[in-house]
Parts: sequence; C-alpha cells; structure tokens
Amino acid sequence: MELLGKIGPYNEVADEYDAAASVEALSESKVLVIGAGGLGCEILKNLSLTGFKKIHVIDMDTIDISNLNRQFLFRLKDVGKSKAEVAAKFVESRTQGVEIVPQFCKIQDKPLDYYKQFVCIICGLDSVEARRWINATLVTLAGEDIIIPLIDGGTEGFKGQSRVIFPSINSCYECTLDLVTPKITYPVCTIATTPRLPEHCIEWANEIEWPRIHSTKFDADNPDHVEWMYQTSLARAESFNITGVTKSLTLGVVKNIIPAIASTNAIIAASCCNEAFKLITNCNPMLDDYMMYSGDESIFTYTYKNIKKSDCPVCGNDLKVVKAEKWWNLKEFIEEIKHQKDIQMTNPSLSTKFQKLYFSSPESLRLATEKNLQMKLSDLVGDEEVIVTDPKLPISLRVRIVFN
Amino acid sequence: MTIDKSNKYDRQLRLWASTGQSNLELSHICLINGTTTGSEILKNLILPGIGNFTIIDDKEITTNDLAGNFFLTNDNIGQLRASALCESLMELNEDSKGHAITDSLDEIDDSVWDRFNVVVVSDYIDPEFLDTLKTKLFKKEIPLFIVNTVGFYGTINLIINEITVIETHTSQLFDLRIDQPWQELSELSDSYQLDSLDDSDHAHVPYVIILMQALRSWSDSHNGPPTTMTEKRQFKKFVQDQSRNFTFETNFNEAVSSVFRAYQKTQVPSMVKSLMNNDKISDKNLNNETPFFWILIRALKSFVELYGNLPLPGTLPDMASDTNNYITLQNLYRDKAAKDKELFIEEVKRVLTIIGRLDGLTALEIELINIFCKNSHSIHVTSGSSQMTSKSLLEQMLSNKSNDYDNEEYNHLAIYFGIMTFNHFIKQNNHVPEESDYDNFIKLFSEVFECHPDLPLSALKTFKEIVCHSSSHYHNISSLMGGIASQEVLKIATSQYVPLDNLYVFDGIRSQSDKYKI
Ligand SMILES: [Zn+2]
Repeated sequence: MELLGKIGPYNEVADEYDAAASVEALSESKVLVIGAGGLGCEILKNLSLTGFKKIHVIDMDTIDISNLNRQFLFRLKDVGKSKAEVAAKFVESRTQGVEIVPQFCKIQDKPLDYYKQFVCIICGLDSVEARRWINATLVTLAGEDIIIPLIDGGTEGFKGQSRVIFPSINSCYECTLDLVTPKITYPVCTIATTPRLPEHCIEWANEIEWPRIHSTKFDADNPDHVEWMYQTSLARAESFNITGVTKSLTLGVVKNIIPAIASTNAIIAASCCNEAFKLITNCNPMLDDYMMYSGDESIFTYTYKNIKKSDCPVCGNDLKVVKAEKWWNLKEFIEEIKHQKDIQMTNPSLSTKFQKLYFSSPESLRLATEKNLQMKLSDLVGDEEVIVTDPKLPISLRVRIVFN
Repeated sequence: MTIDKSNKYDRQLRLWASTGQSNLELSHICLINGTTTGSEILKNLILPGIGNFTIIDDKEITTNDLAGNFFLTNDNIGQLRASALCESLMELNEDSKGHAITDSLDEIDDSVWDRFNVVVVSDYIDPEFLDTLKTKLFKKEIPLFIVNTVGFYGTINLIINEITVIETHTSQLFDLRIDQPWQELSELSDSYQLDSLDDSDHAHVPYVIILMQALRSWSDSHNGPPTTMTEKRQFKKFVQDQSRNFTFETNFNEAVSSVFRAYQKTQVPSMVKSLMNNDKISDKNLNNETPFFWILIRALKSFVELYGNLPLPGTLPDMASDTNNYITLQNLYRDKAAKDKELFIEEVKRVLTIIGRLDGLTALEIELINIFCKNSHSIHVTSGSSQMTSKSLLEQMLSNKSNDYDNEEYNHLAIYFGIMTFNHFIKQNNHVPEESDYDNFIKLFSEVFECHPDLPLSALKTFKEIVCHSSSHYHNISSLMGGIASQEVLKIATSQYVPLDNLYVFDGIRSQSDKYKI
C-alpha cells in the first residue's frame, strides 16, 4: 500500500509505527458494516478498495426500485432480493481477495457474542432506533472491557454527518440524542377537527381512518394500501377545501421519507471509511469526534468534539433530572418523557423500587397498571429514582422527578 | 415522467422536483481523465440520471489504475481507459448515455467543447494546457471544475463566469406583509372583532390577523411601528396581554413567538436591489443577447418601481387556527400571488418588446417566471474568476492566518498550493514526488509562485505530508472528493441550490475543510 510505507509528519505514533504491521492489520481485521443501503453500498466498496479483507454486512431489508438512484450495487433485476446478499456478492466480484459475509436479518436478532468478533463497526443506517440499539450494545460490551469503536454516518439530502464513538470513553450516540430531529407530529385535535395542511389530512387517513376501517396493519410497500391512503387523504382534503395532497406527499408522510442522493452518501461513507482506515493503520490521527457536512448552500463542514454526558442513560452514571408540573397526572408525565429531545421513547414503562407505575407491555401488566395513568404524579412518586424503559431499546433510563 | 422514473428518482425529486430533474436530464458532462475520482464523480451523476457524459482520455489501463477504481477490473488491463470506463459506468443507469473520446487533449477540436454543460478535470493534466483550457471555457461560458486528490488531501476549483440561481432553497422567511397589508388582507383583518368572539373562536384566530391588528393599534397610539429594543419588548407584551388565557391559546403563543414578523419591514432585500442596478440591464447594454435571467431582473426592477414590492410568493406557514379561517387567509395570499405574477409577466413582455423579441413567451419560460415569482427575494448571483491563484491568497498562506482551524501545525491553503506544486512537479519530472524529493519540492514551489522558500512550519509539514503520501489512488479521498464535486455539478446542472464560490480544500487528516474566493 502506497499510503502506508512512509511515516508522515502528522503521525502521532511515529516511534512505534510499523508499515508492515499496518498492512497486515488491514487484511486481518474483521469489520462489521451495519446497513447495505445508500451508505452501506459505498462503505463496502470503500473498505474493499483500501485493503480490508474480512467484512461482515448486516441488513434486514430487500431491494426496492426507489433504491436504484443511489444504491449502485443493485440493478432492476435485483428488486425484491436481500440487500446484504446482493451487495456482498457484487463487491466480491469486483475486487480480489475480499471476503464479505452477508447477514440477512435484524441487528437485534444477533447475540451479544456475535458482535465481540469485530475490531470496528461502521454504521450506515437511516434508523435512529437501530443506532441506539447498537450504541447501547457496544457500551454494554465496554463494561466487559471489550472496546469496539463505532463509526457512524448519516445523511439527509445535501447534508450529512460522520462521527467516531469509542464506547464508554467519549460521547456516545445517546449522549447527543438531542441532535436528532424528531419526526414531525401534529396535535391530534388538528388532525381530527381543524386540518389546514395536506399533511394533516394524510395523518388523519393514516392514524384515524386506517385503524378504524382495517384490521390489518398498513403496509407502505403494498400498492393497494398506498392507493387507499392517498384516495382517503384526498377526499378528506377536498371536503375541507385543502389543496396539495399528492401520492408522492402521501408516501413521504406515511413512510417518513428522507431525501437522499448518491453524492452525499459517497461523502459521508468515505469520511467514515477514512476514519476506519486511520484507526486500523495508525497512519494519521483520527477525527475527534464529529464532522457535519452541508452542501445546501455552497460547501460547509464543521468539526467538533461532543460532550460526554454524565446523566446519559447509556454511558453515564448520574440520574437524569426531569421537571414536572405539580398538577400533572402520570399520563401527562409520560407524554413529557416521550417528547423530550434527549429521551425520545415511544412506549415507555416506568417503575420505582416500590412499585410498577406503568407498563406499556405485556398486556396483562398494562391492564394492571393502567389505572395509575389518571393519578396525580406527586401522589405516586416522591424523590425516589424512577426507572424508564422501552421495549425497543436496551436502555434503562434512571430519572429523578423535580416538581416545579 | 413515467411511473418507473418517478419511483426510481423519488428520493431526489424531493430535493429538486421535476424541473430540476429535467434540467439534469438535458445536461452533458465532460470528464477529462478517467481517474478514480473522476469515475466516482460520474457514478454519482449517472445514478440520478444525467443525460449524457463524455470521458476524454487517451491513456491505456495499467495495474496502477485498478488500485482504487471500482469500475475497472483485471480484464480491462491494456484497454483504453475512456472506452472501458464508459462501458462500465453506462451499466449503472440506462437513462444516461456515455461517450468516449480517446484523442489526446491537444488534438481535440475547439467546437467539441460546445457540447458540454460542465467540464471536469480530474488530477494531473499539463498545467500549461490547463491554463489554455481554462481561458477557452471561460470565454465560452462553460463551467469548469478542477478536482485534485493527493494522499489525504483534496481540492476543488470552480471556474465560472457567473452563477445565477433562482431556486436557492435558502430562504426560511415568509413574506407576510403584516406591516403593509394590501386592501383585501386589510379588509379581512378588519372583519375580525376579537372582543366579541367566544373563547373557542378567540383561540382560533390566525396569528397573522392578531399581529396585524396589534400593529395597527400600536402604530396609531405610538406614531408608528415599534423600532427600539424597548418598544419591541413592549409590543410583545402588548400582544401577549390580548390573550384571554396565554397557557392555552396556542394562536397567541405563536403570535408572541413570531412577533418579529410584525415589525419586520417588508422591503426589497439589498442583494436583489443591487442586482436591479447591475450594468448588464442598463438601457445601453440590454439587447437580444441578454440571458433570460437578466431579462427577468430587468422586469423585476420595473415591477418594483410600479408596485413598491417584490411579487408576493404567496406561501403561508401553518398556524394554529380552524380550517376555515386558515384556508380563507391562505387563498388571499395565493390570489394576490397569482395577480402579482400576471402583472410581472406584463413587465417581462414589455422588456422583450424593447429588445425586439416579439415571438411571445414559451411554456418553459412561463414555468420559469412562475418559479422566479416565488423566489425573487432569495435569488443568488455571483461573478466568478478564471484565476487559480492570487497574490493575496499566497500571502494568506504564507502568513498562516487563513482561518480559525489553522495553527502552527496545520494550514489549509498550504494544501492547495502544495497540490498545484505537485502537478508542476509531475510536469518537470514525469513522476509524482516522493519523500526524497522534499527539498526539490519546496524549491519548485518558490519558483512557480515566485516567493521566498522560507515557509512557515505549517506549510513545511503540509508539503512533507504531500510527498510522503503522494498517491492519488487512496480510494476514500477519491470517493469523498468525487462526492463533493458531484454535489456541486448537480447544483449547476439542476440550476438549483447555491454552488461553491470558488475554491474548496479538504484535509482528511483532521476531517476539516475550508473555502476561499479567488
Ligand atoms: Zn452516552
């Protein structure tokens, strides 16, 4: 490798640096790529062209026609097949001596032991929930003194970001959850009674009409379902003289579609892989620890170090303080927790060391604790610790409530 | 657009809509040198469906080319780079058509360049030829990107005469005219008797109406709208005090948080004002060669002289209100926008008559006017340069004060000057510099840029890094710079979003970057 033979002036470990060892590290290090979508395709290409030889890729999705404008390892004939499998095979066919093991499943399906085999994990996902899951999992492993660096990339339109997480050492994904823009939601009364925007009409069809009329779950990949959603939204909009409901907007709202182009994926994936390359070879210093890129208006990057939060539910030790109004009942407090930018749980369950306050699942516990929802919060809890969990996240948040 | 296309391109149509897409599909990009970076740029343009691409390259494929290029394999060794790459890249998208030119650059006929909307030079070409090409394309008004990657470093120059963008997607402001309501809006506002509404209706009055009424009664008792900080604070409280229950009346909450919209004066932004005074549209310069964009600016000038304001875009943000109140208000804004557009079209026609164009407006031009009227407050124009360096840029590099990120170790501009020196070194020595060439490299730099070889430490370190890691095949940097360059090409090709102006430098060691205007 041309790049590894010489020690550059910025090499921070010049005294110990050994070019041959770096080349070997590249070919021996087992790395995991999470996601074989827009970022994942780029990441696999980049790793295999920069000396990595042992790669795993995991993705639960199959190929859709709308992937083809950026996911360049897929062709029209591949629609419907596993992303991980097609991507792995394609990259292997274009490169020499690279072994890529595809995993066609959810990351949550793999046991903790599976993740222990990797030297580094590169994450190119569009799901906040999956990112939180892998982040928390790696912090758990760090507790067993297994530190697996997580390099995370994300894009939206012309913008993106890449970051390097050394679990339990620097700030983790959960520490900066407030950087994530939450999905736009509209007040129920607006949707139900005073719609003004086409989006309100679509959410009405999606949240109120669909469950009222259908017993099956809405499937955004089913053309009949999408057509029903569009027609229902359109009829609703027309009855209120609201214009602008289109099929494209309907899909955008119900699938929460984020605009994406190949260029931005290329930039962010390359940035992530550049950091992985430096991590494994030691040939130059690494990003410390976050870079955001924006091409919306000219070109702009901003690099900075995030702060590790002592009350982070994943990597911190301190209780998180949540303020509450004295007159709130438990239900109002749960709503507050759901919407706080640095908590963002969809189905929280709450308990103290004395009692179960509310359990969102299983059904038997939900029924048993439901009555507490209407009770005054200050009658249920004092200054003892409240544990908040969510069935979809391997996180237990420790909260202290402070009444205003 | 076919269903297949709108499905396939769904994720990008949400960024530039069908107008941007059809501009892209009409574009023809030319790549000089089938390098790794060049291939990555093309990949990112072919996937979203650029109409045509041409690769100019007379070299044969060697094992060296395979090192970092995903689109070439062992089987391609010995073939011509332009043709093999063209074939391999075409496979990405049947909507894009590829062409290969295998002549050497100096054999290419002058008229060939006229085919292209954008030309990209990737990595080394003879610096003297680059100079000639630059001048040629500048004269032809064809945008030229120069993209270089060396080791962990990358740079992009955009050589372009002028950039004009109508749809910049930058403005978050809404033109609501709260301070200058037109007659219908004023009448609608007057029709609300806030005091006589019941509590539910009171909580559903759109904040535009609340602010308009508050501003009027404040102005009546204070001889004009609030101007000082103290007055603005008092005005805010004045608005809040009109709420019956501030905790629950969302509309009044919104009125208070949007209170700046009331005392913000509706006026023509200074950027737009200066465009309207551009010499290009003065009586003596306006002629039938004047680009349509500037005709629109000239028409805008007359429009503002006649009606005092820019055409109303007509978009109303969402606000707490019941459906009827909101839709009525929204229709008022939309109707006014439609009327303004008709009046604006009259002005465009008047300008066309002056320059002797009497054939009427095409459907495409009408569509453009439509977009122009919605965006006239945020149009963007910059004039570029055909230069790649300047005295002040060099001084900035030598003084090591180019930006906040730089210190005695790091120097963004030294990356740029180092990469230019790198290309001169290849011309002089027929090979890329290596660590042992360090002293010669510095000497060459001071010769090319006519300056003392006494460089700051940051520049010395940067040059050292360049000679140590002098590969142009490090795929991550090629892919990253290819991604950035292709974003900029997309902006030019779609005529949307504001592109780079005009030099960009990326440092992959620290993952930092900066831009400069030459
Ligand atoms: Zn954390």
